[in-house]
Amino acid sequence: MLFLRRSLPLIIAFAVGMIGILVYYIPHSGAQALEQELTTWYRIVAAFALLLGIYSLMRLHWNRVQRQQSGWGYSFLVFVGFVLMSIFATYNDGQGPLNPQVIDSGPFVWMFKYVQVPADATMFSILAFFIASAAYRTFRARTPEAAILLVSAIIVMIGRVPIGEAIYHALPEIAQWMMDVPNLAAKRGILLGVSLGAVATALRIIFGIERSYLGGGE
Amino acid sequence: MKEFLINIDRRIIFIFVALGIIIPSLAALRLPIHITEDVKAIYDTIEEVGAKNGTILISFDYGPGSLPEVQPMAIAVLRHSFRKNVKVVGMSHWVDAVGLAQEAFEITSKEFGAQYGEDYTYLGYKTGGGSLVINMGNDFHNAFQKDQQGNNTTELPVTKNINGLADFDYVLCLAAGNTPDGIWIPFGQERYKFKFGLGCTAVMAPDQYPYLQSGQMNGMMGGLAGAAEYETLIETSGKATAGMGAQSVVHLIIIAFIILGNVMYFLYGRQKGGGQ
Amino acid sequence: MRYFLCCITLVFCAAQAHAQQPTGVKAEDTPNDSGGSITVVWDYPESYEKAEQIRYIISVGEFENGPFHSAKYNEANLQSTDPGTFGHGEETSQKIFARITAYVAPTDPPKRIAIENGKTYYVQVIAHLPSGESFPSAVASAEAYENFFNTLKTNNFVLGTIFSLVILGGIILAQKRDLFIRRIAGLEALDEALGRATEMGKPVLFVHGLHDMGSVSTIAAVNVLSRVAHRTAEFNTELRVANRDPVVMAVSQEVVKESYLNAGRPDAYSDDMVFMVATEQFSYAAALDGMMVRDRPATNILMGYFYAESLLLAETGASTGAIQIAGTDSYTQLPFFITTCDYTLMGEELYAASAYLSREPKLLGSLKGQDIGKAVLLIVMILGTLLATLGNQTLTHIFTAY
Repeated sequence: MLFLRRSLPLIIAFAVGMIGILVYYIPHSGAQALEQELTTWYRIVAAFALLLGIYSLMRLHWNRVQRQQSGWGYSFLVFVGFVLMSIFATYNDGQGPLNPQVIDSGPFVWMFKYVQVPADATMFSILAFFIASAAYRTFRARTPEAAILLVSAIIVMIGRVPIGEAIYHALPEIAQWMMDVPNLAAKRGILLGVSLGAVATALRIIFGIERSYLGGGE
Repeated sequence: MKEFLINIDRRIIFIFVALGIIIPSLAALRLPIHITEDVKAIYDTIEEVGAKNGTILISFDYGPGSLPEVQPMAIAVLRHSFRKNVKVVGMSHWVDAVGLAQEAFEITSKEFGAQYGEDYTYLGYKTGGGSLVINMGNDFHNAFQKDQQGNNTTELPVTKNINGLADFDYVLCLAAGNTPDGIWIPFGQERYKFKFGLGCTAVMAPDQYPYLQSGQMNGMMGGLAGAAEYETLIETSGKATAGMGAQSVVHLIIIAFIILGNVMYFLYGRQKGGGQ
Repeated sequence: MRYFLCCITLVFCAAQAHAQQPTGVKAEDTPNDSGGSITVVWDYPESYEKAEQIRYIISVGEFENGPFHSAKYNEANLQSTDPGTFGHGEETSQKIFARITAYVAPTDPPKRIAIENGKTYYVQVIAHLPSGESFPSAVASAEAYENFFNTLKTNNFVLGTIFSLVILGGIILAQKRDLFIRRIAGLEALDEALGRATEMGKPVLFVHGLHDMGSVSTIAAVNVLSRVAHRTAEFNTELRVANRDPVVMAVSQEVVKESYLNAGRPDAYSDDMVFMVATEQFSYAAALDGMMVRDRPATNILMGYFYAESLLLAETGASTGAIQIAGTDSYTQLPFFITTCDYTLMGEELYAASAYLSREPKLLGSLKGQDIGKAVLLIVMILGTLLATLGNQTLTHIFTAY
């Protein structure tokens, strides 16, 4: 049992990790075929995992509806949305489930265009309001470093929109320079650290040093 | 009044932002658009591909949430491609991009009389991310055996000569997530060395500069401004150009609030510990 | 005199013809590929003024004496696009490279025949001038085969191996003596935040980022979750783990279950603690915002890779008065988390979290190795900048990815 829960996953992680690294250096068709096979397997596993996700989602919301927890009405809407979209996708504007999805008409397309698109776009647009409020509350020149950040942010914000050029003709170039030079330098620094960290984490997993992902540490 | 200005209720800021969007949009405020080199690079590449009647791949990796920023890029690039006889193959790493990509193809193909299968095709969504890109790089027809409409990719004129990603003259990723730096560059461009460009949301753009400078990406459209620049380059005004007026005004409003916050902080806030 | 002039003209024409014939023609297996390709190399024509006007045709045959058929190849000068294979030196700019993968047999209709591995092919380069004249080169031969190592990636392989050895060295070192690790405020505060939830009798909400299990930030987040679950099991505090990816959800369920088992509280675990919220970014954000507002968790822990939803989640969480600890390597979203959360783990701090929380020598050792790697990179960058400024590109070429 312990072998199945601990040793086997570690062996699989080591083997697949090493294969993943080695095939990167081997152009031989055998290695490429192996990589093709492994990546195809991953895609199949990921597709099946989606079913697991749907099951978890339904169970969570079913429990909520059954126990009539606060906001259970929203959970009920999950079922309405799921059932309706499934029926519409199967109906496929009269073409049936075996034909390619009809792309320009039918209730499925209507629901996507006029429910999901506006709902999602609304969520994203809330960001504009939140950013304005967060910027007002926190963008304060408390220290010289904060003051530099503040001035840079204002220049980039104005320089990236057409009104910037109308205010001062060189603003877009200054904004671009700030993105290309100081911004890039900082990003590079962080990116290098993050990449080294990612490599180290990958090695820890491949060599079985990091086992927390199997649950409960050692 | 002093207290009010130190701690303006966020709902008041929200009202200003809302008015800053609504009024310029209704008044159709238009401003001249400055073209940046990064956007021009994508435009020039499409021109080059058009000159040799080549094929490009567009990866539609965004959802309805980022539609206002990224969809205008898709439409502008498709318009440019069809105008220059560039063949286009579309695909998606995001499932909710499918409807948006199809809509973009529908609008632009009708305008230019582009024929499905001959001038363009849409392969649809597939799971896998990086592994899908590796599959496409090694054997394109195996990764996508059929397009969205069920046609064999080995038979479609637009895809039959594409054996791997390196056969595309240009790969353009339109993204609102991790697909450029998480999927296309490490698993695609780095391995198969194709020419790669990006259109992304404004918030993502600063992240992508290292790849631009390293040459892994030859051009980038960032946010609504990037889309508006592309629309200006192809001389077809669209939703991005129309939105730039509102964006300019909202930026000014945010800056005004930041300045006000700082003025109040320096006048009174410091004694009170920050005016948070 | 006329005879003399005629002789000079003939000699000159012969010399010119000789000069226009492609020289230095070599054929070889294309390096670093899976076979099916031959690379032909010949000299850049020095004697012909309008070198760019020459059109080259490469003919391929299966026998030395022919027949030869025109080959399919990329006409670009590969030296400019593939310096990894052909070098950066001056001499390579005096060469033209072409990669042949097939040739056209003169059947009706013409048939494309691919280059086969293990078969000898004979190659001839023919220079066509604008005047219509053509000059064939000498015949060269080559055999295509599959390569077992991509020499272009030698630098990557060597540097990767050295870095791995440094990390493994750090691990060995850590087992022999204690290593210092600087204080990470966000992780120090974790116990306090979980304790607060316990005192208030409210749940702890753990939010995964948007990436799947293949991402290092998700793995690091799962590692933190393992420690968090262990503590909530000990404190008997309600834990809720929100997921966007089904694979991450399945792994998280296992991790939380194991942690509760190790803490001696298997009875307190239920599969419903780790749940799927939505696969779409903004549906995920909207559902979580709703949970934060309705259930008012005392502690929100946001770990992993986030996008535009970061501010939506953190701002809503802040408005409910929850203690918030965020950790992400998505540096675009860091400002939003720093603004709205009580503690933020930045970039590598997230990766280090597991080592920090467990104080496991092996994990701490890998952090030390990582630091040594970073120090080496810093030195190389400074040296590389100096050398490049002085016009020496050697170090730059060593660190270039091909």
